[in-house]
Amino acid sequence: MKRRDFLKNTTLASSAMMIPSFLKASGWESLFGNHVGKKLVVIQLSGGNDGLNTIVPFENDIYYRSRPKISVAKNSVIRIGNDLGLNPELKGLESIFKEGEMSIINNVGYPNPNRSHFRSMDIWQTGSASNQHLSTGWLGRYLDNECSGCNPYFALDVDDSLNLSLKGKDVSGFATDNINQLRKTANNPYLKYVAESHQHFHHDDDHENVEYLYKTMIDTQSSAKYLFEKSKVYLSKMDYPQNKFGKDLKQISELMTAKANIKIYYATLGGFDTHAGQKGKQNRLLKMYGDGMKAFVKDLKRNKLFDDTLILTFSEFGRRVKENAGGGTDHGTANNVFLMGGKLKTPGFFNDAPNLSDLDNGDLKFKIDFRQIYSEIITSALGGDPKKILQQKFSPLEIV
Amino acid sequence: MSDGLKIKHLYARAGFGLNLEEAKSKNKSSLQKEVRQLLKVSSYDEIKIPQQVLNLQKKAISMQETMGRRQGRKLEDEVKKYNKNIVMDWIGKMTEGKNPLLEKMTLFWHGHFACRIKMPHLAANQINTIRKNSLGNFKTLVKDIAQDPAMILYLNNQQNNKKKPNENFARELMELFTIGIGNYSEKDIKEAGRAFTGWKADVVQGEFKFVERQHDYGTKTFMGKKGAFNGDDIIDIILEQKEVSIFIARKIYKYFVNPKVDENKVKEIAGVFYNSDYDIKKMMQFIFSSDWFYGGKNRGVKIKSPVELFVGLKKILDVDLPQQNIMKIVGKGLGQALFNPPNVAGWPGDKSWIDNATLMLRLNLPHLLLLAKDVEVKGMESFSRKPKNKSADLRPFIQEFSKKENSEIADDLIHHFIHPPLAMNKGLLYKRIELSTPEEVIQKIIFRTLSLPEFQMC
Repeated sequence: MKRRDFLKNTTLASSAMMIPSFLKASGWESLFGNHVGKKLVVIQLSGGNDGLNTIVPFENDIYYRSRPKISVAKNSVIRIGNDLGLNPELKGLESIFKEGEMSIINNVGYPNPNRSHFRSMDIWQTGSASNQHLSTGWLGRYLDNECSGCNPYFALDVDDSLNLSLKGKDVSGFATDNINQLRKTANNPYLKYVAESHQHFHHDDDHENVEYLYKTMIDTQSSAKYLFEKSKVYLSKMDYPQNKFGKDLKQISELMTAKANIKIYYATLGGFDTHAGQKGKQNRLLKMYGDGMKAFVKDLKRNKLFDDTLILTFSEFGRRVKENAGGGTDHGTANNVFLMGGKLKTPGFFNDAPNLSDLDNGDLKFKIDFRQIYSEIITSALGGDPKKILQQKFSPLEIV
Repeated sequence: MSDGLKIKHLYARAGFGLNLEEAKSKNKSSLQKEVRQLLKVSSYDEIKIPQQVLNLQKKAISMQETMGRRQGRKLEDEVKKYNKNIVMDWIGKMTEGKNPLLEKMTLFWHGHFACRIKMPHLAANQINTIRKNSLGNFKTLVKDIAQDPAMILYLNNQQNNKKKPNENFARELMELFTIGIGNYSEKDIKEAGRAFTGWKADVVQGEFKFVERQHDYGTKTFMGKKGAFNGDDIIDIILEQKEVSIFIARKIYKYFVNPKVDENKVKEIAGVFYNSDYDIKKMMQFIFSSDWFYGGKNRGVKIKSPVELFVGLKKILDVDLPQQNIMKIVGKGLGQALFNPPNVAGWPGDKSWIDNATLMLRLNLPHLLLLAKDVEVKGMESFSRKPKNKSADLRPFIQEFSKKENSEIADDLIHHFIHPPLAMNKGLLYKRIELSTPEEVIQKIIFRTLSLPEFQMC
């Protein structure tokens, strides 16, 4: 961790205990800004997005032979590389890629892949090995390690419940997908009185869990207020797609533009489990994703935030190379991961297209461990010790 | 400390708390008698699946085998809906309070032998197996679990055969179910895996089947012993190690006594457990008969799990919600979906139940339960909307409290339902209530008490 981060996140923050509460409430943290590293936005595509129909190997005969019904026709692919192109529904990503603000990493996975959604998502969210069970997430452990005195909304999950990746042992992220609703719940006048009256009670060592509940409640009340106020500072005029995902991205961009002291944002787009009738379903979702990202990136750029932002997109696994009888694909293994942001070190394709003639039981072999990407993100965007957070050393990639 | 307070603590941990009537009647009982009663299991019904669901399930499985996955999947989705009924049936057993400790132990072992189950008949089988053994012998329980179809599917023992052994079950058997990491080698895992080859599930019948030709009859070297061991032998050898009793006792301590572990107490518990040849009932009896269990350090220090919280509230308010809402609240909202644990390590519990979203839902739960649109509140006719078939019943409270001062009502509610010392100003429970009828005032005080962070504790 860099010295400046250390000062900002630890020393000053932990001395927050000594800062009178009226100062704390006035948002003293913003005095110190948040210029180190980058903001991280994680986009999770749930259900196992079919990477081969997302980034299409349009020169590959095996691809077309394996997928007579659902392959993406060569002449419709948006060409962004010699042998790889975007699914036409991802038109929104074309300019981002061509302007050098996107990096596509192929063949990302982990040893002994698990094909259960649940378990594989678990592995991605906790950053564990496939035979290891962790109850904290990789971002949660970042919070535990680097952020013991940070504000409670330092990592924001735009969802109604907190996903595992943001759960730490002592410090966790904050979840809300509706700031107005959150404010209403948190504004319960009775609970406010209760919180207020708690201030006069002495901490009881045997009942530290009670203390923990009070702290979480009070944090939620003050966060709800903070987030509500920040969400009213800037109302985006950008044209986001009219769906939940578009709405979530808009919310994130508005908070970022309002300079909310939030380091990590997390949003989810689900429904990628396309066992049958894949084409229509996946295309609709890819369009949602592509159009959403286009508006989001444009919004961030307009507000001069894009250079200080890193956007990670992943899914828990890719799908099998061969289509199934129902015009869909079944659970697979390695997949592509996208990074977007200004000033990437290696924009474009980070590595070669998947090798379709060298498969493991009909599935792609992984070449890059997803934790190498996490390690890179922790070092370059978040500022932290990847070895401590990932509990193992992974060789860096030099992308960000 | 009075027996009454001890009994309150006992039922919070060994069961799902008490409602007003139970609390009042048990207040005068003796602790010894209550412990004895909790340990005595009265007859109960197993969770049964209607024949038509079973038939549908069989059809779904055979369709998948003959006509491909897609055809079978639709039907299976239909069948899966029945999982809700199993959860409701079980929650019903926890609430009715016939065998509180048995149900609590069943919930504990359900989290211990964490297993994700999609097929209702397998879910029912497993929970019946666990319930049957949950106060019985741990060795039998482990052996039954090793032959449980849902577990066999979940931990890939279905794919474990002589030619291509799969060690997943063997690994978790040691790491999570019995002895804990650090007490065995990778070689032990491989050898144990061989011993469980051919232990498979007949999914359609929901039964264990031993496939002889896939079993590895060869000699295995396991934990320093040599022999042509099968799965049962492996379990026997593991359970000879004292570490198993310590591993289980520590988990029991965290769950039933205090999330902060006292290793000396753990050793005492483990001693009783090991010397009784893994008699679970004896272990629990030892804990509930020990003075330290009732010590101030151990009271009101455990964060209720979502199921504990929900069942407890359901008991107190005598309220019911539509199935879907219950599943949504307890599962997605509060984070404990039964038969759907986060992974094979189960729910980590304690502080991990709590984040801003789950806590706010927890604190608003009494409100949600009572003011849900289709909930009728008995005794609150002036409030209630059109009666549907769900009801909350506050009549016992109104009867009990109608002649009492507001502050006395608050004292009584705290006495019965709040475990840790209050960490807020008690006056807030009954002051500034400007409502017309006495019933409304009582309801308000109940709400306020049950919405406290302190109510999350037991």
